[in-house]
Amino acid sequence: MSDIYTYKNVSSDVPAGAVSPLSGVRVVVQPNISVRGWPCDAGSGALEGFVPLQDAAVITRLKSAGALLAGSSRMSELGFGLVGETTVRALEEGADVAVMTDTMGEARVTAAANGLFGFKPSFGVVSRFGLIGLVPSMECAGLVARDLDTIVDVMTAIAGKDPNDPSMPDEPAVDLASAREGFECPFRAGVVKESMDLLNETEVRSFKAGLARMEAVGAVIQEVSLPGYSLFRTVHNTVASVEASSSAGKYDSVRFGHRAPQGKNWNEMYLASRGESFRSLVKAFLFQGAFFQFEDYGAFEDACRIRNRLVGETMDVFRTVDFLVFPTRRTGHDPWEAASVKAVYESFLLTLPANVTGSPAVQVPACNVDGGVDIGLQVMGKRLDDARLLCAASAIAYTVPGGNAA
Amino acid sequence: MKYEAVIGLEIHVQLNTATKLFCDCPNRPGDEPNRNTCPVCLWLPGNLPHLSQEALEKAAIACLALNCIIQPVSAFDQKVYYYPDLPKGFQLSQHHMPLSRNGWVDITAEKGGMKRLRIHHIHMEEDVAKLVHETEGKTPISLVDFNRAGTPLIEIVSEPDIRSPYEAMEYIKALRAQLRYTGAAECSMEQGTMRVDANISIRPEGTGEFNTKVEVKNMNSIRNVGDAIAYEIARQTECLEKGEAIMLHTRLWDPDKRVTTAMRGKFAGPCVPDPSVAKIRVTEDWLKKIQERLPEMPAKKADRFAAEYGLTPDEALAMSLDRDISEFFEETAKQGLPPRKVTNWITTHLAPLLKDRSQAIGETALTAERFARLLAMLEKGVINTHGAREVLLKLLESNESPEDLVEKGQFRQVSDMSELEVIIDAIIADHPADVEDFRKGNEKVVGFLMGLAMKASKGKANPKLLREMLVKRLA
Ligand SMILES: [Zn+2]
Repeated sequence: MSDIYTYKNVSSDVPAGAVSPLSGVRVVVQPNISVRGWPCDAGSGALEGFVPLQDAAVITRLKSAGALLAGSSRMSELGFGLVGETTVRALEEGADVAVMTDTMGEARVTAAANGLFGFKPSFGVVSRFGLIGLVPSMECAGLVARDLDTIVDVMTAIAGKDPNDPSMPDEPAVDLASAREGFECPFRAGVVKESMDLLNETEVRSFKAGLARMEAVGAVIQEVSLPGYSLFRTVHNTVASVEASSSAGKYDSVRFGHRAPQGKNWNEMYLASRGESFRSLVKAFLFQGAFFQFEDYGAFEDACRIRNRLVGETMDVFRTVDFLVFPTRRTGHDPWEAASVKAVYESFLLTLPANVTGSPAVQVPACNVDGGVDIGLQVMGKRLDDARLLCAASAIAYTVPGGNAA
Repeated sequence: MKYEAVIGLEIHVQLNTATKLFCDCPNRPGDEPNRNTCPVCLWLPGNLPHLSQEALEKAAIACLALNCIIQPVSAFDQKVYYYPDLPKGFQLSQHHMPLSRNGWVDITAEKGGMKRLRIHHIHMEEDVAKLVHETEGKTPISLVDFNRAGTPLIEIVSEPDIRSPYEAMEYIKALRAQLRYTGAAECSMEQGTMRVDANISIRPEGTGEFNTKVEVKNMNSIRNVGDAIAYEIARQTECLEKGEAIMLHTRLWDPDKRVTTAMRGKFAGPCVPDPSVAKIRVTEDWLKKIQERLPEMPAKKADRFAAEYGLTPDEALAMSLDRDISEFFEETAKQGLPPRKVTNWITTHLAPLLKDRSQAIGETALTAERFARLLAMLEKGVINTHGAREVLLKLLESNESPEDLVEKGQFRQVSDMSELEVIIDAIIADHPADVEDFRKGNEKVVGFLMGLAMKASKGKANPKLLREMLVKRLA
């Protein structure tokens, strides 16, 4: 085991000489994406020793498209936030693309902090089968890569209906081939006025530089309003913590995972094992969820109702603009330093809306201009508009100095 | 003060689908432990449930049979509780949006007449694993068998319309008859494919109030449900009369001691919508197809039997209560036999035989066609009742034709007058005193002498002819 990889693949699953869409593409995954026979502990003592019996749908599709699975990198516990993950180092040391769960914006923020591209597909476009998740209604397989073409290639391989994930809606498949067809200009991009209040001076300057790049490729920028914008955080926190509390219920340390030796009966054994397995950040999050479940169910129901309203408001905005634009990350709130649930949410404030509404969002490294900081340019599209979104992102990336676009 | 009971029943019924509710494992809980399992029903991380179409269809048919209205949208929730029989920490159950609502069944009221008992709703849910408690040396150990985990159940929740142990038992019987008819469930309390929990409270008779209720569990027969409710009514009445408050809690029925005892409070958790199980949206087309699969139900069938076959209402009901029997009756009657005679033979001869053998008709070798041929021979006087009964016994076990069995067993009835004459002669000669009695006016002697004569003919005499000849000779 290296300090980058929790498991390094030594065998090659791809027959030599085969030419496939992802031939030669080296993929690093997080150990919460099931690979048959690989240890998948999702970064938690609660899954210590767990080895999946089946590949995740994403893995099956990557393998059959000819990708090489390099190994799994370290990850935050159960994919909540970004703590101790080594995804970027794996990319620096030879991997071409990383597959990681994006529950609150982890893939996009990772990319933004490292000058990379990050993509979160629409909810329901990529199968969740085999994803050892925490928040089923918010999370998906996110991608991080040095260039957008790789992201489009990988998306083409992994997207599409999977009989093993019946929660995928019955809708027409996203036509990813059209993501390479070039883009019709001009397109209308909305800046949510309520989101601007969050930004400090440096961030505003950086964001405006990004908007200028968009205008340069033919975007018409206009201000729009999402009246419920300030509620995304509370809604995400409430719903996600409740779902996390339910999802983590299966970690009982009986069939796998760390088991505490003490305890006179099963109940004491559960309590001691779970107490020792989860680290403090996840524990705090699960406590919040349990609180809503058991003590304040009404607040959870309110959050679900408000979530529906936010989805509706977002849909309405997409009647007037093609995309919404936000910065991706905040300067004063480093997710790698976040020690409390509150601090985690602060650092993902700009990426949460896509997870709450199930919208696709792409992070373009774009704003490192005038000696400022690169906080990333995040373009969010209408649900199922993934192809057009990637297409627009390509157009924007083309103008980026340093040639991040391939 | 006079009190009356307010009783509501929550009944879990196991659906007899081929597979479990959310995976393709066989729905056979009785197999070798943990044989019927997979990553989904072992609830291993990364797996997603997929709802069985068959389970949904059978649940819907069961709902229709209980006159419930299928809801256009229903959904599964996570019912959260932590117990070793449920290692994923929640049970998938339709708490907020059940599959159907507002049903009813009719029972015969205690004082006669019909009483309609309402059903509040029916929802689907998965069963949990089975815990087996053993000892290893001196250490008590608990083993978990996942064969039952994830098997499909429906829970039928009644309105609090039931007022007595009798009504509770009749309600369960009516519900069972309806469900068995659909072929979707076996409904055996003894086998555990039907489990009944009762919620009982009492109130001054005639008032409309709902008082604190007590839940009683662990009854393993319909009779036990009646007894447990009767016990609980008496216990609560006594409490109230002593001025003690009734506390909301759960009690277990002890079938040996025939009492209920308080159990430690089971923690009831919240129910959260499950984001991974798709909502069920019922289309008109689908519902129509399900409705078409619902068989003609007993009440309707009884009306038809009375009209088409001239049965009395009681006979018609008896012939329609069990689906196998009803189909067997109709098939037999269609072979041109007098329907009431068929009814009579089924109720007085066939049904008790099946009960003795604990068999359903389908589990025996008997077919309606061979049963009809047997009854035809009886009609034509080829055999008598005694002989027909003997042949019927054999027909349950062998595929031989009833005609062959009659010949082989020499059941053909004796209608040869000279043969019968010989028997009568001998009996009259052996019992002069009884003959004298008869001549003095004691008519009961005929019955006694008939018995002797039938016995002497080894049951084969044509009883009608024998009687005529005997009476003639005695006169
Ligand atoms: Zn299974």
